[in-house]
Amino acid sequence: MAVDMKTIEHLCGLSKLSYDEKGMEKVMGEMGDIIDLMDEIKDFDLEYDDTKDGNEIRFSDTRQDVAEGSFAPEKLLANAENTDGCYVVPKVVE
Amino acid sequence: MDLTRAKIRDLRCALDEKKISAAELCGEYLKRIEEQDKKLLSYITVTKEKALFDAEKAQKLIDSGKSLPLTGIPLAVKDNICIDGVKTTCASKMLENFVPPYNATVIEKLNAEGYVLLGKASMDEFAMGGSTQTSAFAKTKNPYDTERVPGGSSGGSAAAVAASLAPAALGSDTGGSIRQPASFCGVTGIKPTYGRTSRYGLVAFASSLDQIGPIANDAHDCAIILNAICGHDRHDATSSKTAVPDFTEKLGLPVKGMKIALPKEFYSDAIDGDVKQSVLQAAKELEKQGAILTECSMPGLKYAIPAYYLIACAEAASNLSRFDGIKYGFRGEGRTYGELIVDSRNKGFGEEVKRRILLGNYALSSGYYDAYYKKALALKQEIIKEYNEIFDACDVILTPTAPTPAYKIGAQDNDPVKMYTADICTVTVNIAGLPGISTTCGYTENGLPIGMSVIGKRFDEQTVLQCADAFEQVFSPAAPKL
Repeated sequence: MAVDMKTIEHLCGLSKLSYDEKGMEKVMGEMGDIIDLMDEIKDFDLEYDDTKDGNEIRFSDTRQDVAEGSFAPEKLLANAENTDGCYVVPKVVE
Repeated sequence: MDLTRAKIRDLRCALDEKKISAAELCGEYLKRIEEQDKKLLSYITVTKEKALFDAEKAQKLIDSGKSLPLTGIPLAVKDNICIDGVKTTCASKMLENFVPPYNATVIEKLNAEGYVLLGKASMDEFAMGGSTQTSAFAKTKNPYDTERVPGGSSGGSAAAVAASLAPAALGSDTGGSIRQPASFCGVTGIKPTYGRTSRYGLVAFASSLDQIGPIANDAHDCAIILNAICGHDRHDATSSKTAVPDFTEKLGLPVKGMKIALPKEFYSDAIDGDVKQSVLQAAKELEKQGAILTECSMPGLKYAIPAYYLIACAEAASNLSRFDGIKYGFRGEGRTYGELIVDSRNKGFGEEVKRRILLGNYALSSGYYDAYYKKALALKQEIIKEYNEIFDACDVILTPTAPTPAYKIGAQDNDPVKMYTADICTVTVNIAGLPGISTTCGYTENGLPIGMSVIGKRFDEQTVLQCADAFEQVFSPAAPKL
């Protein structure tokens, strides 16, 4: 088993996910198997050289920083479940 | 009109010669979908009204003598490609009711040709899977054997083409998601070079690997669609400014003198005997046509699965962090902002998507980043180097598309490791950003299609298509009996 409960809880925090007790046991087993598979990469003994990639986006290829028209607010808000002319969320400050 | 495995170019002739109208053609496909798709579940959404509207518009172009190669041609589109006003679910409860306010660039390009949208094809949830069984809405079945998977993640697109529920479709490929379902369903699918097609409007899984491409009945039809959808897009800085050639140009040219490399690691004992035999027979056929076969080696393949999953999941964890249930997508419940986000994601995402988010965050988290993510990037560089060395001495590479033919539904349930390792033949092509096509090269004793992949140099789709087309000219595909 490559991962313990504490690691899974930490990953759930980072991922904004949660599991009940039974789900936690199950995912711990599955992630253990997956991480065992990923561990095979540790046998590979070359280091990453970030100067060799050569596939970065060139500055000259980017768009001009010019304001353009965007979508109509009502069209975008149509996809939110709870709106009142703006996105409605629970209280952020308790 | 018999639509069984109808080619786009034959439909083009029929439309231009007024043997059938665009509305009639569209109606024929819609009828087939209504009758046959209950058995296959290849579509999530059938856009009947829009299809007939598109067809009327296309007919006007045809009548004015201004038709383009795809004018009036009905197509299916994978449900992770945004179409203005058409539900785009990514086969996830998270986007069950999401209606994009804009078109993906590839859709804008198809619209400019006057194509007809038949509907949105099913897929693995957020394109994460190789079976289309992680779809929240339509777990597609293989048209050759409905007890088997169609492959994935573009399984709906491949099954629809195989069953003649569309003459062609768009899919997307992050680690084999066009080529593997094309192989399982006995059709042809090409993943273009990274940067050939714009990703604008493709719901992101792994941005450095994702690419949109066609699935069709043969390489020629794939080339026709590529001609329509490729090219630089100012909305996607990773789309290339490399000139777009006519992808049909080299079709029909002999492969005499073409150097085809067979990397020995792709023909190991991990590959099913039937698959190996069919692909090697196809290689012999190409040799008979004058191609030169050479053996080569790709030692990095040994580490390809962890390298791919670490990079893909790291990017997925980041890309999918946008799904919080606030601005769009499934909204859960919670007394606080934090609780609302967690509940939305818990209930909106399926199990495989959650596992990949967890793995991605593991690879990126403090203490693990160097050992996993950076190591995977080192592997990426090594795989690119190995491909470059092979291409110094050859024109294309020939491999099996998948280690096995289509497997039984449920055979890989609850076994993510088995699911991941099945991607061994396809992932390096995405890691290296190369073009790769899968075409059918044989059938098993019980009639299941077997696919082979032709991999080419960056931006050399033309040679890849030429090689696949040369084989297709001497191979007789068998349509499924539904």
